[in-house]
Amino acid sequence: MQRSTWISKVIIALSVMMLLGIWQVGATLLDASVILPTPAETFRALARLLSRPPLALQVMATVGRAIRSFLIIFAVGTALGILAGYARPVHAFLQPLLVICKATPVMSVILLAFIWFSSGTVPLFSAFLMGFPVMFVQVEQGVRLISPQLHEMTVLYGFSSRMRLFHLVIPSLTPSIITGAKASLSMVWKVVIAAEVLTVPRYGVGSRMQMAQVNLETAEVLAWTLVAIFLTAVGDMLFLAILKLPKHIRAARASMKEMMR
Amino acid sequence: MRAQHLDKTYVVAGKTLPVLEDFSLIVPTDTITALVGPSGCGKTTFLRLVGELEQPDRGSITKNGKEEGPISYLFQEPRLLPWHTVLANVELVLRPFGADHHERTAKAMEFIELVGLADYAKFKPEQLSGGMRQRVAIARAFAYPGRMMLLDEPFQSLDSSLRWSLVKAFLRLWEADKRTTVYVTHDVQEAVLMADTVIRLSSRPMRIIERHDIDTPRNDRSLGDPAFIALQAAFYT
Repeated sequence: MQRSTWISKVIIALSVMMLLGIWQVGATLLDASVILPTPAETFRALARLLSRPPLALQVMATVGRAIRSFLIIFAVGTALGILAGYARPVHAFLQPLLVICKATPVMSVILLAFIWFSSGTVPLFSAFLMGFPVMFVQVEQGVRLISPQLHEMTVLYGFSSRMRLFHLVIPSLTPSIITGAKASLSMVWKVVIAAEVLTVPRYGVGSRMQMAQVNLETAEVLAWTLVAIFLTAVGDMLFLAILKLPKHIRAARASMKEMMR
Repeated sequence: MRAQHLDKTYVVAGKTLPVLEDFSLIVPTDTITALVGPSGCGKTTFLRLVGELEQPDRGSITKNGKEEGPISYLFQEPRLLPWHTVLANVELVLRPFGADHHERTAKAMEFIELVGLADYAKFKPEQLSGGMRQRVAIARAFAYPGRMMLLDEPFQSLDSSLRWSLVKAFLRLWEADKRTTVYVTHDVQEAVLMADTVIRLSSRPMRIIERHDIDTPRNDRSLGDPAFIALQAAFYT
């Protein structure tokens, strides 16, 4: 087990080195940093922008938008998904909206939203329209998979609606909610940054990317892209850490009890 | 409990399927009545009507004051919530009846102990064997203050030695707290060991073929007893 983990780590490192190698070879062959800067140039640009204020403001603006969009998608997608899973009319009512959300190109949503809203709201709105169907569909399908036998048991044993929600519906839906949340979270980052690129709000990773591109500073575009990748990765890691939190709390409680004995 | 002139018809793939036609049955209070009949004859449908999970097309079910109210149901499968521990599965059904957490936990533990699973209270259902899970379901059914008990072949999926130990566990709990019980099975041996009245049913639409009242006290019953052998033989002819 340990050996195979070690081997996969080596393979991952080799893969990263190979990608960097291809990048370096491509940049050397092209010999035009406006088109493709070398990895070294890109990392220098990254170091420059990391030391340039107001970096925190730029990053936090994007992170704030992504988190707000994600929380709205999570709450609305879960609530409407549960409702639609149980009530066919709600499902039918939301169907046209879902079809529109799924079929509309991201760029159309962003451009239209820019006509309607201020530049700071566009990323939120666009991310919601793109991420909501993913969350909603997962939760709605999850409701269909709730065991009818267990449901019948809760009816016979007099569970109230609240008890049924907390002891049957939500635990049954947890895998679907996690899958939906994971998928919509990674989508949220992409849409928020795309919307920032198009609408250029005062602060935001996407705005900086757009400004760098306008000034033909390709190394900086790539550096901001690395920041975006880093944010997405940290977001995923935090999400996984939050998922593991209840397990850790239970383990900590158990060991506390053990110590008290 | 008195069921009178029950009709129940299902429509399956456009075809009507009469399951109960003018079916009547009296179940004496605080006794176990076993319904023995072939698979698919309508026994489970009858239980679902008594449990008010479904309504009859015609006819009525009347319960007396002692039987009216919540119902303890034992299903073919244990139907435990997989994310909760054994203790939580039993304790949960006590919540609608108030009492504080400690009282509920104590009561749940009492029944878990009675089915011999005290050491497994913190286990999740997936960590238990099939027989142990069904024991938890029995503890839950008895902990729940159901006025009647409905049993839908709860021991059927288990091997015979386990089945008898569960039947004994069930009867021990039942003798301590008698409730009007309707017990559906297609196992004649189980029926004659457990029930006060054994009713033999026809295939669908379900009708009563014969009714046997068993006066022998449960503790004195033995499958080797000639009277019981004769009774069992009657069901197989």
